[in-house]
Amino acid sequence: MRKDSPREAVSPALFGRVLVANRGEIAVRVIRACRELGIESVAVYSSADAGALHVRLADRAVYIGPAPAVDSYLRIDRILDAAERMECDALHPGYGFLSEQPEIAEACEAAGITFIGPSREALAELGDKLAARKRAVDAGVPVVPGIFWPIVLAGERDEAELREQADRIGYPVLIKAAAGGGGRGMRRVGTREELIEAVHGAAREAAAAFGDGSVYLERYVERARHVEVQLLGDSQGQVIALGERDCSIQRRHQKLVEEAPAPGLTTEQRRELHELGVKVVRTVGLRNAATAEFLFTPDAEFWFLEVNARLQVEHGVTELVSDLDLVHEQIAIAAGKPLSARALAAAARAAEPVRHAIEVRLSAEDPANAFAPGPGRLTRWRPPAGPGVRVDAGVEEGSDIPGDYDSMFAKLMVVAPDRPTALRRMRRALDETEIAGVQSTLPFHRWIVTQPDFTDESGAGLSTDLVARTWEPAPLLSAAALRAAELTALAARATPAPAAARPRDKQSASRKGDDAWWQAGVREQLDELR
Amino acid sequence: MAAAQLVVQPAPEEVDTFAPPRLGELVAELRPSPADLAAGRRRYEVVVDGWRFEVSTESADRAELRDRARRAASEHHVAAEMILRAQIPGRVARVWVSDGEQVEQGQRLLAIEAMKMENELRAPVAGVVRNLRVEPGARVEREDELLTVG
Repeated sequence: MRKDSPREAVSPALFGRVLVANRGEIAVRVIRACRELGIESVAVYSSADAGALHVRLADRAVYIGPAPAVDSYLRIDRILDAAERMECDALHPGYGFLSEQPEIAEACEAAGITFIGPSREALAELGDKLAARKRAVDAGVPVVPGIFWPIVLAGERDEAELREQADRIGYPVLIKAAAGGGGRGMRRVGTREELIEAVHGAAREAAAAFGDGSVYLERYVERARHVEVQLLGDSQGQVIALGERDCSIQRRHQKLVEEAPAPGLTTEQRRELHELGVKVVRTVGLRNAATAEFLFTPDAEFWFLEVNARLQVEHGVTELVSDLDLVHEQIAIAAGKPLSARALAAAARAAEPVRHAIEVRLSAEDPANAFAPGPGRLTRWRPPAGPGVRVDAGVEEGSDIPGDYDSMFAKLMVVAPDRPTALRRMRRALDETEIAGVQSTLPFHRWIVTQPDFTDESGAGLSTDLVARTWEPAPLLSAAALRAAELTALAARATPAPAAARPRDKQSASRKGDDAWWQAGVREQLDELR
Repeated sequence: MAAAQLVVQPAPEEVDTFAPPRLGELVAELRPSPADLAAGRRRYEVVVDGWRFEVSTESADRAELRDRARRAASEHHVAAEMILRAQIPGRVARVWVSDGEQVEQGQRLLAIEAMKMENELRAPVAGVVRNLRVEPGARVEREDELLTVG
């Protein structure tokens, strides 16, 4: 077993043992980096994840509680306890869960454990989205027009005042949670009449999700693109931009597809965007990785939205374009190293990228039913492979995808010398991808990579409301249903009905999982029948 | 996932007209329950273009029988009443209507909070709300009946 296998000799190892305070694909990601750096990894798991991939890959694993996140992955006390018992000298929070909560950085500090991420102060400053906006304004960085302080609706006078302010900002407006992030706790309001109700609804969501019901208001920019800058800073105060990403393909503010670089930008625009990102985080001082998010308006202006002071889901596309391992860099920075020569070189090239990478998020959601999550067992999982394909998965075939957490189970990325080639490569990779047992977002991705609004190289067709405006699953579903009927008829015709006593006697090639997959078997039968 | 009725009875000559499964198309026969076996029904999981279906097949004769029975039963209903079920598990956050209230198509009925988001349920048809089974705070599971409109 791995636990006894020889470790990579990287002398001196930056840390002895790292606790990975997360699950799924990002835990796997961090564990892989640790292994490559000769660092022992400790996984934590809830009862829903006892057999999970990240638990099996780590050198050690500690049980931290029952399935609900609030009883396990969000329990700072249990996680720190595990880190101390396992004598970890560092902790990586991944993304989501505790990654942007200053409390975990504080708890690590108190325990003498290095937190692989920004300082506690930076987390607190950047986590307050309103404060971050104010800081951006003070630094001369353009922001989205809006209200800079939390909305308080204690009575009719407050409501009247809010209506006035919203009138001045101009409709439509977007209500956002001050303690929010990751697209949660946001609502678009089209008219004056809906405003008050929507603010109350958003405040409720925010209180439930973040324990803080404070909300604020921004102008909702129609047809804006979402672009973001990957930043890296060290303890010596150096801050660099490693490139930008375009994440406009979203649904209800949840990203579905991301790419690097952002299509259609000139070198000057890229430089400008990167400089704005660096400027914003310089105001708090950034140590480790963060991402500055912007709206790119139809008038070609960059308006600052917020900073995410953590590694993001989509960091991989930046890695593929810049040929850098961001988790390696994170660990080195946390160990006190200055920015590496590789990172500095990547930053110097960032405004003139020579590769293009695209990522699609594979989640257990039904794209024909408003992307409703549907947990279950992944009875078939055959990810694509071949040149320029990278798959970061937290699952294996046969894995359970529990309903207690985010429904994303894998990220499929491609990289190529240019965008058209990357698109062709993504289409090829999606064709090879086989998923069964749960409904995944695969059909949506197969569709988006053929849409002119997406494939247009200029990026002019990209906007954050593209999916909401144009995704129409019904005809795709009908066509697929017809084909499914055809296949079923073929299968029913080609093989004998199962008898009760003998559960299975399928003749297909060797497969894992309970139910045999029929492709080979059905084809053989068909040949016989001809 | 929508439910669909499938009647399958290909004649031997038709086998040639079906294209063999392509890469990415998956068919697996699922274990039949005693009820399936009694009804001569076979069940499959089929994936096409990433869309996952659960398909059950039965002979054309049985399907005809069932159709006739259903048509006879539905003739006794004056107006179709739609049962609205929860599509996701969660907690009822808001209820905007009451039992006996007349609603228009598209009108907001209730909101369910799940996965940290509020999901609004709107009336698919105009009609009268009846059998309102939930109130704010109630926990619902997938497929739980919420109310009827008709």
